[in-house]
Order: sequence, then C-alpha cells, then structure tokens
Amino acid sequence: MNERDILLVEDNPDDIELTRIAFAEAGLDSRLEIVRDGAEALDYLFARGEHAGRDPAKPPAIVLLDLNLPKLDGREVLQAIRDNETTRGLPVVVLTTSTEPFDVDASYAAGANSYIRKPVDFEQFLAVVKQIGLYWLVLNQPKE
Amino acid sequence: MNEHAPSAGGPAGGEQPSRDPRGSSDAESRLAALTLQQEQLAQGVAHDLRAPLRAIDGFAAMLTTHAGEALDATGRDYLQRIRDAARRMGSLVDALQTYSRVGRAPLREAPVDLSLLAEWVATDLQDAEPDRAARVDVAPGLAVHGDEDLLRELLRQLLDNAWKFSAPRERVEVRVEGERDGDRLRLRIRDQGVGFDMQYVGKLFQPFQRLHGTEQGAGAGFGLAIAQCIAHRHGGCIHAESVAGEGSVLHVELPAGGDPETAP
Repeated sequence: MNERDILLVEDNPDDIELTRIAFAEAGLDSRLEIVRDGAEALDYLFARGEHAGRDPAKPPAIVLLDLNLPKLDGREVLQAIRDNETTRGLPVVVLTTSTEPFDVDASYAAGANSYIRKPVDFEQFLAVVKQIGLYWLVLNQPKE
Repeated sequence: MNEHAPSAGGPAGGEQPSRDPRGSSDAESRLAALTLQQEQLAQGVAHDLRAPLRAIDGFAAMLTTHAGEALDATGRDYLQRIRDAARRMGSLVDALQTYSRVGRAPLREAPVDLSLLAEWVATDLQDAEPDRAARVDVAPGLAVHGDEDLLRELLRQLLDNAWKFSAPRERVEVRVEGERDGDRLRLRIRDQGVGFDMQYVGKLFQPFQRLHGTEQGAGAGFGLAIAQCIAHRHGGCIHAESVAGEGSVLHVELPAGGDPETAP
C-alpha cells in the first residue's frame, strides 16, 4: 500500500467529519491531513507558512479538493499545483457537491485527474470515499 | 403611431427598420444580468444546498449506529424520517438544478438517433432496479435534429415517469414509437401505469405539481416540466393523454432528422 498521506482540502466542518468517519471505516483515517482553505492547501504542499516544517519532498498520495473554498478556490489551487514543477504530477481528485457542467469542464481543463460528486445519501458517500481511498492508496501506482 | 415610439416593427416606407442602439443595449444588458443571476443561483444551489443535507443524513445515520439501541421504536422511526426527508430534499435540489440547467444550456444541434438514446435510458432504468420485471419496446429509426444531451434528459424524464407510475403493476410495460410528419417527428411514449385524471392535465407540466402521492411513484414534481422545457427549446411541443387506472401516452413533437425517404 502507498504509505503517503491523503490531503483533504475542505472548509465545511460537517463534510470534514463525515469524510473522517468514512476513511476510518476504510482503515485509512490516520493518513488524513486536513486543510481548511485554498491558501493553506498551497502552504501545505509547498511547505511554507504554518506548514514550513513539513518535508516538501514527501507529497501526499492524493489531494481531495473541494471547489468552493475560502481565500483561494479549488480551481485556483488546482492551477497552482499544475503550474509548479514539483507538484505538477500530483493526483488531484475534485470532490465536490456540484454537477454543473461548467464546474466539471473547468476542473478537467485545469488538470484534475478525476471529478467526483459527493452524494447526499450517507451510505453512498461512505462507498464513494472508500472507493477513492482503495483506488488511489492501494491500486494506483504513484510516480516515485 | 407615436413618432417617438421605438421602431421595433417591420420596415415602413421602403426603408430598413432603424435599430435603437440605446434601447437594444438596455434590453441586452437586462437579459445578460438576468442570465448571470440565474447562473449564480444555479451555482449556489449546486454547491451550497446539498452540503447541509449530507450532514443531516450522515449524522442521523451515525446517531442510529451509536444510539439506536437506546431508542425505542418511535425514536428510531423519527431518525428514519429525518433521513428520508433529507434524501427527498436532495432529490428536489437535483430536480431544481436540472430544470435550471436545461433552460439555459447552449443548444448544440446535430442529427440524433432517438431510438438509441431511448434504449440507453431504458437500460439505465433496468440497471437501477435489476429485479423489476420490465419490458421497454423502442421502435427503430426515430431520427431527430437536436441537442443529444438535452434529448437524453427528455427521454430520461419521460421513461422514468412511465417506469415510476407503473409501480403498482406486476410488470413495467412501455412502448416508444413515432413517425415522421413532414419536417417533424411525432413521438409517443405509452405506458400501462396508473394514468391520471384528464381534468388535471393543465397542471401536469407545471413545476412542483404532482397528481399522485409518493406511494404511487411521485417524485419531486419536475419531470414533465423539464421535458416540456426541452421540447420547447427545440421548437417542439409536448402533451399528454390518459385514462386513470389504465395508463398514459406522452406525445412529443420535435424537429425530424435523417432521411425523409427512409424514416418510419
């Protein structure tokens, strides 16, 4: 199994807690790093600001990115990830509530690896989060 | 005619109609502002209305897991009602968003094989309910000219309705058929479901209107409003006829596509 962390970029405390519960059920909760806005997501990835002590040579296995975020929104975060040589290849899964075609199109145009809608139904939400964890942390072979 | 009235009518005295740039610009600005407002509203619905529902359903589920044993049957029933209501509200938000989207999505017109789309939609419905006995017959060669995504949504709504309102029947029986009439395709979707009383037919295509209870298969009350909006955007129309207790026929008129010589 991939030993790297999962970075969850999410500002809604309820969605954070539900995602934490879902990863706990999948046995992956200890791997979850949470940041609550777009600016903090970039601070984490580039090891600066309050994350200055982090080793930037250890990127997360995957970024789970909400779109509507404080400070910098998800599209801006995604653009910054793709514009930087060290983070260009990082898998980014947009995990959001919207199914609006303009959000889907804009996310793929900005370089998202996947676009997944968060279901309202809790059992479906659990299943979606577990499948994301299984695919990206167990099945997927990341670039070294 | 008032000589100061804007010349929005046809040509007069052999001259080309003059266009009032200021009036036209105002109208265009108002339209652009309304479109922007609708898009912002749709974005708000898409992003912000579902999150609290997910929390309501999710934490009610967790409460059932953690404290369900301590509750009596009434308490557990209340928790289930909270979850059911959150899901219904989720379906309503989905329907509202679809209704908004089909009204403002750009129309990308091309030849469309409606028979193939109907087969796909029927397969999706059966996949969602694999144990349900169903037969959906689709006539081949139903060719139209229109937007494939929107027309798939139209068929999805109409076939979903036919499927849902066949809930009391042992088997879902739906027939999709039609024929070309000049430059139009006259499409019919027949079911043998619960039907409806024709005295309420005027309400059928209005959003939020339901002629049946949820136990008979009613959803958010948007399906036919969505279908009508899509038909109108193609310059077509839709109407319904029914005998209560015996089934319904939805008639849809759309711009015909394909070769008129080989059309059904």
